[in-house]
Amino acid sequence: MSISLYKICYNNKKRNVDDIMKKILVIEDDLSIQKELASLLENSGYQAICLPLNQISVENILKVKPDLILLDINIPVSNGEVLLQEIRKKSSVPIVMVTSRNNEVDEVLSMSYGADDYITKPYNPTILLLRIGAIFKRMENHSEELVYKDLSFNIQKGVITRGEQQIVLTKNEMIIFHYLLTHKNQIVTRDELMTDLWNNDEYINDNALTVNISRLRNKLKEVGYYEAIETRKGQGYILLCD
Amino acid sequence: MRLKSYLKDKWWLFVLFFFMYMIILLMFLAFKVNFSCCLATSILLFLFVIIIIMIDFFRKRKFYTTLVNHITMLDKSYLVLETLEKPNFYEGKLLYQILYDINKSMIENVKNYELQMTDFKEYVEMWIHEVKIPIASFMLIFHNHQDKFDKKAVLQMHRLENYVEQILYYVRSENAEKDYLINEVSLSKVISHIALKNKDDLLENNIDFIVNDVNYKVLTDSKWLEFIINQIVNNSIKYKKENGNSYIKITAIDKKDQIILTIEDNGIGIPLADLPKVFQKSFTGHNGRFKNQSTGMGLFIVKNLCDKLGHKINIESKEGSYTRVFLTFSKDQYYEVLR
Repeated sequence: MSISLYKICYNNKKRNVDDIMKKILVIEDDLSIQKELASLLENSGYQAICLPLNQISVENILKVKPDLILLDINIPVSNGEVLLQEIRKKSSVPIVMVTSRNNEVDEVLSMSYGADDYITKPYNPTILLLRIGAIFKRMENHSEELVYKDLSFNIQKGVITRGEQQIVLTKNEMIIFHYLLTHKNQIVTRDELMTDLWNNDEYINDNALTVNISRLRNKLKEVGYYEAIETRKGQGYILLCD
Repeated sequence: MRLKSYLKDKWWLFVLFFFMYMIILLMFLAFKVNFSCCLATSILLFLFVIIIIMIDFFRKRKFYTTLVNHITMLDKSYLVLETLEKPNFYEGKLLYQILYDINKSMIENVKNYELQMTDFKEYVEMWIHEVKIPIASFMLIFHNHQDKFDKKAVLQMHRLENYVEQILYYVRSENAEKDYLINEVSLSKVISHIALKNKDDLLENNIDFIVNDVNYKVLTDSKWLEFIINQIVNNSIKYKKENGNSYIKITAIDKKDQIILTIEDNGIGIPLADLPKVFQKSFTGHNGRFKNQSTGMGLFIVKNLCDKLGHKINIESKEGSYTRVFLTFSKDQYYEVLR
């Protein structure tokens, strides 16, 4: 009894944290990329803020109070690496360097100046979102437990618990369920699921994905959730949870 | 400088001397000079001519012999001037000065081309970074409006991206000194990047991507290695069999002082006759002509980069059944100790 109570509390706390949208500052000189990046972030539940090029300065950046900064190295006003160093003097906000300069030296330099990640253009948008998500997860440092209705999901053990009942998920099923759970009430495409799987070194093919999803559905049925994962034809899947 | 040729070259001197000697003899006859005086003058004359010729020969021989020898000995013969002492005779001085002037103008000329080349390379690198921006922009637009695009568009964009990478690494491999950094790199991480990069292509072509036991660390530049393996994987995708289950299998083994990474596919393979030539520049071979989309540059650049990084690359293949590429990384004992 006490355990489930704890979970309910946790669930509520989690909701509250989720309600505050994460603010991501995009510093990017190419307007078309800036616009699309902002809409990508907004579609994924973040608040995207872009600074006009002539207003890029450490003061202005810190005034926005971003939760994360996407920083292009090749910005015209001042070099991204210099800007990175200056921000680091005053703040420890997570910074992801985004650049078309694909070489080891730049990457090592940026990381040594205090960047949290380094992504080269052209990037896969899903990967970019996964990396951003990973940084937030690292920052919040919360326990490895996620909650879906009255199920609790332990990622480290790969176990779904409902009261006394436990189901063990395989690694693939876990990745899929985790992705659906972190994007609950949103349509998730097969491509996104595939990208997350491949990102975790599970190089499976289309058929295997279908098989894994139907296995996951069966396992959810075992704990009484019959239509938890819905198929939206031609679009993908959705995990409904109200 | 040989005496015989030198003397042959001085034939006019001997002819002149012969005429002069004849004239002198005739004069002696006309003035009825006595025989002893005649003989003494003749000997003196001959002696002087021989001495003059010899002195001239030896003075020149020293300079020209060293010049000729050094030119044949040096691998960069245009540097010969630096190895010579300034000669002490007029012709030599003249030649020395001329060589100096020619050298100088040649260096200026070469330098000029060098500058042009660096400018060009810098421009190409800059251009590559520029062209990646619209590609990145396209990828984002595609992702945000997936309903309006065909999935095939993104595959074509990947192809374009791949060609752009190819030229970037070609430029880099030619003047490699400046931008690579040897580090301890995790093979599985590099392979993971490559898998993600080629995910759409692999899925579209129904190729199984199998990775086993690659949890090793090797000393290399991660970006360069990524390019190398990516080219090989791309070739495997390009030259897959039309039907049947295709796969690309990547494994690694640890062998005492080296780690060998194997990339194997069950594609159309490479004909035996083409196998020794695959690393040559612009070599397309039977497969390239057949598939009609080969530049013959990919493996050439790969080989170039491998040589620079000190990795060995070998290809084994059987036409119609498989191709295996082996990448061998050496372990560095010194580095192990340092750690």
